[in-house]
Amino acid sequence: MSISRRNVLLGATASAALLPVAARAQTSEVVIGVIYPLSGASAQIGVDAQKAFETAAEIVNKNYDFDLPLARGEGLPGLGGAKVRLVFADHQADPQKGRAEAERLITQEKVCAIIGTYQSAVAVTVSQVCERYGIPFMSADNSSPSLHRRGLKFYFRASPHDEMYSKAMFDFFDAMKKKGTKIETLSLFHEDTIFGTDSGNAQTKLAAERGYKIVSDVKYRANSPSLSAEVQQLKAANADVLMPSSYTTDGILLVKTMGELGYKPPAIVAQDAGFSEKALYDAVGDKLEGVISRGTFSLDLAAKRPMVAKINDMFKEKSGKDLNDYSSRQFMALILMAEAINRAKSTDGEKIRDALAATDIPGEQTIMPWKRVKYDEMGQNNDADPVLLQYVGGKFVTIFPPQAAVAEAIWPMK
Amino acid sequence: MTAETIIQSLASGLLMGLLYGLIAVGLALIFGLMDVVNFAHGEFLMIAMYATFFLFAFFAIDPLLAAPLVAAALFVFGAAVYLLVVRFAVRAKANAGMVQIFSTFGLAIVMRGLAQYFFTPDYRSITHSWLGGKTISVAGIFLPVPQLFGALTAIAAFVALYFFINRTDFGRALEATREDAGAVALVGIDKNRVFALGWGLGAALVGLAGAIMAIFFYVYPDVGASFALIAYVTVALGGFGSVFGAFAGGIIVGLVEATTALILPPSLKSVGIYAVYLLVVFIRPRGLFGSL
Repeated sequence: MSISRRNVLLGATASAALLPVAARAQTSEVVIGVIYPLSGASAQIGVDAQKAFETAAEIVNKNYDFDLPLARGEGLPGLGGAKVRLVFADHQADPQKGRAEAERLITQEKVCAIIGTYQSAVAVTVSQVCERYGIPFMSADNSSPSLHRRGLKFYFRASPHDEMYSKAMFDFFDAMKKKGTKIETLSLFHEDTIFGTDSGNAQTKLAAERGYKIVSDVKYRANSPSLSAEVQQLKAANADVLMPSSYTTDGILLVKTMGELGYKPPAIVAQDAGFSEKALYDAVGDKLEGVISRGTFSLDLAAKRPMVAKINDMFKEKSGKDLNDYSSRQFMALILMAEAINRAKSTDGEKIRDALAATDIPGEQTIMPWKRVKYDEMGQNNDADPVLLQYVGGKFVTIFPPQAAVAEAIWPMK
Repeated sequence: MTAETIIQSLASGLLMGLLYGLIAVGLALIFGLMDVVNFAHGEFLMIAMYATFFLFAFFAIDPLLAAPLVAAALFVFGAAVYLLVVRFAVRAKANAGMVQIFSTFGLAIVMRGLAQYFFTPDYRSITHSWLGGKTISVAGIFLPVPQLFGALTAIAAFVALYFFINRTDFGRALEATREDAGAVALVGIDKNRVFALGWGLGAALVGLAGAIMAIFFYVYPDVGASFALIAYVTVALGGFGSVFGAFAGGIIVGLVEATTALILPPSLKSVGIYAVYLLVVFIRPRGLFGSL
């Protein structure tokens, strides 16, 4: 049979007529793409993240009595009770793979939003693809400040960035100095991708503004087989505070090498990442009594908000781990994205984007110590207050800012 | 920069370099024997580290005691890889080089995937061992005991290997097979047997390195990747197939890495290694001690 123009037209009309029906049928399910390193050097992060997102999806899709958006009732009421379905993709910490996977999620899996990515370097490419297709991107746990300053319309981040984190660190230093602690010199130790570079830049800038002297600034290659030479330089500089910005692998090696080369700084104040991972404390926790890390989350909060403990139990059942700074932000990212989709009453990228831009959720309705969730015109939530946590006796306690603190800082560390 | 900093850097570089040599020598041995580059070499290291970790975690066997067991297990594993994979790959008539590359490369990916599936991607570490975390301090220079032990093991392994290749019947068979596999078959030596033993020996050496590395390095499915890259450049620098070359190459790589980090920002420290390699390529493309 030959295909005539009329047949084609007929077919097209028929499909066009069917389209709204199909679209309506599809909304019984809202497909969200989740893009993480599921293999490669940081696979552990991605595999844990998967459990955090699954926990959040379960809370949205089933009925829970939590004071959290969409927890009560099943699915998204704005879309007739549609359930959230997650499609996971693996970027292997490679920005180019991230780009390709984001394309695939959007064009083949037809996701209406994407959440990611752990590595800031990958968030750069994934968010560019999202922008091109008009699909909202929620940066769950990337902390590079340059990410939201690229004029992207579809980029959103509820959690703080490294300038906010670093500012909290320097506020803390100022407060400690007022109490008479000697903090004059700093050593920076940061890895060479966008995360470490941005963090190092933010810290350098703040140190200059607040009158702290940086006596050594070591930028190292991520996943290095050896860090002896780097630790040598830190040791020679012997600053009052060591400030690492390192992922888990390098964090473990850093602490081990410091032990081997007999370097013990008076204090370590870490830019999160590896320093909030259980693996690092399992490996070298005995050498880290009193280490301070910035964070956005602390299980202390469970005392004030009982749902935090319950959600932690749900997550722990799946992953065997407590919620940490990363898994908590990943969890929140999906809740916030689903909440916006629900208000948008649509899976259209543009409408979800507008709903996200109109988000205004009080901090009490999250599992975070944040004031509120409200994005500025660049998609950044400036009310996400960071906290500083200190590792004492095998767990983290909040030591700063004073309104969130449950304990005094121990300085110098043991 | 004080004299102390320089000496410390060189000492650390030397210790690390000897370990790099120990990791690379298995690769050099296998290449020298049958002109096959084992792209799964890093994954051999990875399973050796996991084996050491599990012996510690489940049976509380210290890595020092585990080292011979792991080396023996890797010997069997290496021989099995030859008999089950490589033996068939080298039979390819067309594109033989490609088939060899992809068979060991595929093996690497499979091993990594299986490790992630069965062992999870969590980072594992041996928290307490006889040597772990101990350091000797001489006149302000710190020498970590695990690396020191690794370096001494590397030297001992090279000496043993030297005598083994030059003084034993099997060593001579190994040398003869590498010279001319066809002629060897005529005098009644089973080429497959020699190759299998060669693979076993190469794997056992990287197994030894893995057991020592597990004392001070974290273990995860991708751990082999960064060390394998260094092993390849070590072998290329020292000379393909030369056991002594791998030894010298390792020391050079360790020292160059340490000195580069003194002069340039540490994020560029691997640049020094490859710059030296390029220099060697200009002057002696076969590598410093290559005899091919």
